[in-house]
Amino acid sequence: MTLNQALTIINSRRESGEGGIYYLACGFEPLHLTTLLRAHLLESRVDRKNLDIQHGVYGDLRGNIDSAARSGAIAAAVVLEWGDIDPRLGLRASGGWSSETKADILASCPQRYAHLESAIEKLGERMPVAVAPPSLPLPPIGNTIRAQSSVLELELEQQLAAFLLRLARLPGVRVVQRQRAEALDVRMELMAGFPYPVPFADALANSLVKVLCQTPPKKGLITDLDDTLWSGLVGEVGVKGVSWSQEHHTQAHGLYQQMLGHLASCGVLLGVCSKNELSIVEEALARKDLYLSAESLFPVHANWGTKSAAIGRILKTWNIAADSVVFVDDNPMELEEVRVAHPGITCLLFPKKDPTAVWGLLGELRDCFGKPVLMDEDRLRQASIRASAQIQEMADDAASPEFLRTLQGKVTLDWSADPADKRALELINKTNQFNLNGLRIEEAEWRRHLDDESTVLAVASYEDKFGPLGKVAVLLGSQRAGKVTVSHWVMSCRAFSRRLEHHTLDGLFQQADAGEVEFAFAATDRNQPLQEFFESLGISAGADGSHRISRAGFEEQCGVLPHQVSSLTNKLTSK
Amino acid sequence: MNNTKERVALCFTNVFPAIKQDEIPKASVTSLAAWNSIAHVTLLSSLAEEFGVDFEIEDFETLVSYPLIVEHLEQKFPDA
Repeated sequence: MTLNQALTIINSRRESGEGGIYYLACGFEPLHLTTLLRAHLLESRVDRKNLDIQHGVYGDLRGNIDSAARSGAIAAAVVLEWGDIDPRLGLRASGGWSSETKADILASCPQRYAHLESAIEKLGERMPVAVAPPSLPLPPIGNTIRAQSSVLELELEQQLAAFLLRLARLPGVRVVQRQRAEALDVRMELMAGFPYPVPFADALANSLVKVLCQTPPKKGLITDLDDTLWSGLVGEVGVKGVSWSQEHHTQAHGLYQQMLGHLASCGVLLGVCSKNELSIVEEALARKDLYLSAESLFPVHANWGTKSAAIGRILKTWNIAADSVVFVDDNPMELEEVRVAHPGITCLLFPKKDPTAVWGLLGELRDCFGKPVLMDEDRLRQASIRASAQIQEMADDAASPEFLRTLQGKVTLDWSADPADKRALELINKTNQFNLNGLRIEEAEWRRHLDDESTVLAVASYEDKFGPLGKVAVLLGSQRAGKVTVSHWVMSCRAFSRRLEHHTLDGLFQQADAGEVEFAFAATDRNQPLQEFFESLGISAGADGSHRISRAGFEEQCGVLPHQVSSLTNKLTSK
Repeated sequence: MNNTKERVALCFTNVFPAIKQDEIPKASVTSLAAWNSIAHVTLLSSLAEEFGVDFEIEDFETLVSYPLIVEHLEQKFPDA
């Protein structure tokens, strides 16, 4: 994006509604970075609203970070440069580069990093923060020629790396991949205090926005087998004839297998869709030299029907929508057939004859499934999907109370509104089917809810004899003058058919000691499961358009609550 | 209005979105309240990008009005 393109984008949105404030904290004059950051943020917004960017004063990064934490911004970008770590490492200082000075720089950096870390930690508690590491070169203070690293430079880099590692582990803080500016704009830096050439400022702004405004990750990947997971057609060359190794010059398939293994370890669902005989596929997937566990592939559909039909069955087993799934196949025609049948699905070609393109595909998959923080629930997902399938197989009417009692289920309702729990917000912002109204919450708004004494928050966890599902439901509302209003209610599709929603509502009546609950319900294209639940309880729009249920009405309609329930509050009580 | 004038005017509109078209030919640092130091650097960077040229440091001190900018570009970069 050029500067003029950025200005055009900004001017075109001036009359749009206000979409919030972002804070850019840096020690230099932000100048074009502000413009480009704002334009990239505007481009990333689905709601097409305008937004504003605040920034602090020149030369006071620490103060600007503190100022960001006090601001009403919804997110912050912190851009570090060496001059912020020690002004003597910038161009506008005149402290000299003597041996004593260099020793002093090295000795004083740790304290500076500690101050910045403390400020960024506080900022991360208030809003999501993207931190960009220094991208400009150090001044020529090494005793070596430029092609050789000096000990001083390596020591500075080591201190920086340790600092960034600590930041990456802080809640709410995301470290941007380090980029190197091709050239410092010395003239602009000396004249205006802005160090970046415009193309680099554009690239940096783009990265900051990608890190701050991440799209929800995909949940599942469905892969073809022949000439994709392995090289060769297993039905023709046999189980031992397919390969994926360096020895057979088919390592690109081995890299893809390793990528799938990595994704499975991060909680991504992996399924197989192949036009083959199931028996030979099962035999091939049982090969011990496969680079991923065959256990992580579930379900495996191998038959001669259309791939769109097989993928439809996989989506049903996973109970997720097509737009949460990536399908990888080496055949463009198969990809097109699936794309037409399942609008929203991401179809990616496996470029079997181009290892360089395969490497690019792996990077694309990382972007499809990457998320800021990996949670315990991510690792439970695959096992719980299998458990759900087992449950479906065990009972014709899997939702019957009699059957559910045999699961020995345990529901935990956590009312403590713990700010450190990232899972609750993640669930609200990614769940579509059992969702009260489809409304999402920005992280800063979420924190305001948690700070509000009137907030009622229930985070429901579930486990049964098939294993834990983890935190799978969130109900958020407020209680004022004895009245409970639920603004958000979501439940993971993995927890369907277990009457967890009944337990949650029952828990709300008890916890709030409320006679009636009102819901900020809105029908969406996707929330049919919630609508059906409301219908089962007789909840519909009243004369004033609101959706309510009384405690007596709930108890009358609720039916059997089959699981053992524990409640966690600040004081850790249980019933 | 020749091509240079139109392109300079476009940059003025980009940097000063509230400016009226008839104000542009006589716009200067003293006549336009929004023309502060940040806007000045942004305007010259916008012009540099539009015309594919680099301004000297001293240009930042002298190019303080629309007529001066147009004259400078026409004289120093007639082919830009």
